[in-house]
Amino acid sequence: MSSSLRIAKPDLDQLVSALTSRYRLFGPVDVDGSTVLREVKSADELALGAALDGSVKAAFFPQTETLLTYDGTVSEAPSGRDKPTAVIGARPCDARSLLLLDKVFGTGKYWDPLWQRRHDDSLVIGLGCSAPLETCFCNLMGSGPFDAEGSDIMLTDIGDAFVAESCTDKGERFLKTAYKSQVQRPSQADLDKAGEARSKALASLAPAANYSGVKTALAKLWDSALWDEIALGCLSCGACAYLCPTCHCFDVQDETAPGTQQGRRVRIWDTCQSALFTKEASGHNPRPSAKDRIRQRVMHKFSYFVDNYGEAACVGCGRCIRLCPVDFDVRVVLERVIAEGRRTKDKERGTKKDVRHAG
Amino acid sequence: MLLKDKKADLVIGYERGSSKRRARPVVIRADKDVDRLIFDDTCGPSLVPFARKALRATPLGTRVAVVAKGCDGRALVQQIAEGQFKRDQVVMIGVGCNGVTDHRRGASGEKREASCERCRYPNPPVYDVFVGEPVAAGTGDEFAGVAEFEKLASADRWAWFEHELGKCIRCYACRNACPMCYCEECVVDQTNPLWLGKSAERPDTTLFHLVRALHTAGRCVDCGACERACPLGVRLALLNKRLEREVRERFGYTAGLSMEATPALATYSEEDKQEFML
Repeated sequence: MSSSLRIAKPDLDQLVSALTSRYRLFGPVDVDGSTVLREVKSADELALGAALDGSVKAAFFPQTETLLTYDGTVSEAPSGRDKPTAVIGARPCDARSLLLLDKVFGTGKYWDPLWQRRHDDSLVIGLGCSAPLETCFCNLMGSGPFDAEGSDIMLTDIGDAFVAESCTDKGERFLKTAYKSQVQRPSQADLDKAGEARSKALASLAPAANYSGVKTALAKLWDSALWDEIALGCLSCGACAYLCPTCHCFDVQDETAPGTQQGRRVRIWDTCQSALFTKEASGHNPRPSAKDRIRQRVMHKFSYFVDNYGEAACVGCGRCIRLCPVDFDVRVVLERVIAEGRRTKDKERGTKKDVRHAG
Repeated sequence: MLLKDKKADLVIGYERGSSKRRARPVVIRADKDVDRLIFDDTCGPSLVPFARKALRATPLGTRVAVVAKGCDGRALVQQIAEGQFKRDQVVMIGVGCNGVTDHRRGASGEKREASCERCRYPNPPVYDVFVGEPVAAGTGDEFAGVAEFEKLASADRWAWFEHELGKCIRCYACRNACPMCYCEECVVDQTNPLWLGKSAERPDTTLFHLVRALHTAGRCVDCGACERACPLGVRLALLNKRLEREVRERFGYTAGLSMEATPALATYSEEDKQEFML
């Protein structure tokens, strides 16, 4: 099934035009030193070398999205679409995050037509990470810098060119139609370079810590003072949630022009770190403090999501560390959770032993 | 020493973070952990929001020691002037600051942040102990960048604001990292009435940043924590700097220099200029 080809970097535009003729294409773009996801029309707009600061989720789940408009009576938002969506330059962590989001919006108990409209028939062109960052921990979340999971085509940077390999039938079909005649196959030297990039990237990552005990530990730590300690290092802003490729909570607002019946119903990203997130109409807030909120973030990702969908809602992209204003480090949190869980277990055992002795 | 002598119950400072280019705020409670503390040009985040958090989370009478570079010292002074806490609730550990770097824009020792380049207060105006040597203040016009920007045509200035505001994702990192944004309930978190929309579209982001700029006018100490906090590089401290100059020219007030002076926006005089009134 899998076929591979060589795309010289100056020829990237051919791939981009093949994509834009069939898809609405999103890719990483440099804006004053930040790399953000934007709709792109040509290859020169792309900033493929840098780590993407905003995640790829915005291509399928935009931050602000009109659900419907109204003027006294309801009129549905346009349900059609011009073209399916494609993303180029998704890192393996991001490509994998789309599969997790699809569990929430596309294939699970609930399905979201807006997500499906964009996600169905979409094409994801992944870009392997030749130089993982210090904050990267995809390897600790069961993945890796060249993991093809979630990508239809995977690009590997070999210097003056990319080696493009199809990872799914969809990717294979696209490469075949986009490169009917002028296919350039990678030479053995190209493939060797790609292999070298892969092993170098793997070797540069921190050795895999074992996070398998996190869920069990969390179950014992709801009331732990650990959360007070952890909350001390957090500003309770929403930077982590909005940059996170798997955070998907949203708010729905009706915006009506004053004095009229005209307006729109709009869906907007929301974050559990905001006090307003759980504030009830009565004024009561079941998560009144930063401690309650940071616990929710960790619990949702590493416990509740596992219960609901079988895996953690974290792909180890490290944005929440790298772009946190105060260097809050979720890896440190997980290590502390495991250690505290172990201590709690030991204490319980200790108590039982004491009782037996006393008996 | 402060902990051992019971002069402070806890110390808020910086420790080495996830890389050698980063420092993170840390709370130290025991003398044995004091060695974790560091101070260098990676220590960018303002510790003032953490000091407030510690004061609120601990029993009355708790003395919180804070490592304070010039801007953070001024922010603490300004909060005391605004009646947020009493002078004896904080122990200020003054440090001279040569400017901080942002890990995304250069390694330690490389490029100082814009607010540090124009900083005229590298040492805190008030402190209980001072660690190291005071740093000589920069000279030249701290408002030169503002004057330069004002030379642009109105349309170009607006285009610049639109470009900057277009990057905003409403995460409120700027607000939460700001030592002077301490409202119990921010206007953007009020829902009844909803003063401004919650979208990340430009009218809403613009309104948020304008409200914040006006609410920090005459209070902002130009620490630059907002710009360093922004995950997507929105650079609006220049707007705050412009308002700082306005307040200084009109009311002769500079934030964070005196615990006794009445803050500019907390008083009025019949002599205040009011040529803008119709």
